[in-house]
Amino acid sequence: MENVDTMHYLFAAYAAIWIILAIYLFSIQSREKKLRDELRNLREFLEHRPDNRKKA
Amino acid sequence: MDLTKQKKLDAFLLGILLIGMILALYMAFLGAPRERTMGDLQRIFYFHVPSGIVGLLAFAANFVASVMYLIKKDRKWDSLALSAAEVGVMFFMIVLVTGPIWAKPVWFVWWTWSPRLTSSLVLWLLYLAYMLVRAYVPDPERRAVMSAVFGIIAFLDAPIVFFSIRWWRDMHPSAMIEKGGIDPAMVPAFLTCSLVFLVLLVYVIRRRLFLESARVELERLERAANLVR
Amino acid sequence: MLGKVWAVLRKDLLIELRTKDSLNAMLFFGIVVLVVFNFALESLRDSIRTAVPGVLWVSFVFSGTLGLNRMFASEKENSCLQGLLMAPMDRGIVYLGKTLAAAIFMFIAEIAIFVCSLIFFNLTVWSEIPWLILVFSVGTLGFTAVGTLLSAISVNTRMREVLLPLILFPVVLPILVNAVEATNIILNGPDYRALKLPLAIMTTFTVIFGTVSYLMFDFVLED
Repeated sequence: MENVDTMHYLFAAYAAIWIILAIYLFSIQSREKKLRDELRNLREFLEHRPDNRKKA
Repeated sequence: MDLTKQKKLDAFLLGILLIGMILALYMAFLGAPRERTMGDLQRIFYFHVPSGIVGLLAFAANFVASVMYLIKKDRKWDSLALSAAEVGVMFFMIVLVTGPIWAKPVWFVWWTWSPRLTSSLVLWLLYLAYMLVRAYVPDPERRAVMSAVFGIIAFLDAPIVFFSIRWWRDMHPSAMIEKGGIDPAMVPAFLTCSLVFLVLLVYVIRRRLFLESARVELERLERAANLVR
Repeated sequence: MLGKVWAVLRKDLLIELRTKDSLNAMLFFGIVVLVVFNFALESLRDSIRTAVPGVLWVSFVFSGTLGLNRMFASEKENSCLQGLLMAPMDRGIVYLGKTLAAAIFMFIAEIAIFVCSLIFFNLTVWSEIPWLILVFSVGTLGFTAVGTLLSAISVNTRMREVLLPLILFPVVLPILVNAVEATNIILNGPDYRALKLPLAIMTTFTVIFGTVSYLMFDFVLED
């Protein structure tokens, strides 16, 4: 088996692992940031207008 | 556990992970012998198999969390179930991507319907189905119940699937035989990588759980504020 | 308890016998699938007999899924489910009755589809029939055992019946694999002794998922 060729595949496999992990962790991070921003906005909104509850 | 303790634990885990990854890379490339027939390509094994093991552990965690949710009805179990399933799907994606990359130079085909690869595919599909069930039930409590039920079904199905496919493969043998035994010289590298992946699993599930608890908190606040979304 | 199961079962059977909606759809769809396969497998024309077990069971599974969908969809439409749940019986009984009803309908469709396949693919089977009935029965029961539960789940989602094939097919793969192999052994294979393993796996599947679905059905129906 041509050694150079197998090195390409070996590299591809390891690259794939890092990429998949990185994408997943980054997606968690960005989702978290968005959520925390929304949470902050919601908390501010509730603080400044406490009587804003809609009657059911 | 309050926020600062969480962050400290996360930082600690991340530190161990970084060291661990370097150690794992060393063991896989320098600490393990070169395989006779496949050469260096076989080193994919040190990350491919632990990914599978860790993915299975994640699904097992989903099973336990699903059962616990049905018993206790505590939202935290539902969050763990979701996190575990999602992380498991990710690890199995690693298995399904590295598998063909390994197979192509060795057996000259991208896909082999070998028992382990096929079972991995089915397991991946099963937990994707779990995510689908979660995606299409709007009410949080119903969602938790439905997905818990499906999570239990999926996990009970997994061994039967593996067994069926393995037996079917025996009936229709092909030239591709999967590696059975492992050279004792490869064991230290394998164990190291498995341990590192275990730490990785815990770390990623914790991160996902963190995200989920933030989302649940947002949902709770929205409900309390009576906001219509 | 058996009386109650029979009551639930009888209701579904009577409704179906009166309208024959589900059965007609299942039959028609099953036969259409056979025809589609004939065109899809044109290249296998001469050795089609080897593909028959697979074609048959794919047709059965599609047809059975149609039946399972209809089962809960109509209940939800007319809120019959509420009425059924108000009856003084264990939810598990409802599960058993529905599963048996679904199995019976699917089995009837299977017989019809199988007879058509004999004609389409020019097969002769006589001594094989009792074995085929055994395999069809066990496979069908396993399919509906978990299918009834998953149908109840999918009907409660936003995608409704569309979700059922997506979540059911991966789960029933063991039934499919073993049923196809068992049918193959009967139709093409040499040795009936090889039937033991697939039948054992299918029975194990049915028992495990029948029990688990019976126990969990209550959770899914809470409305």
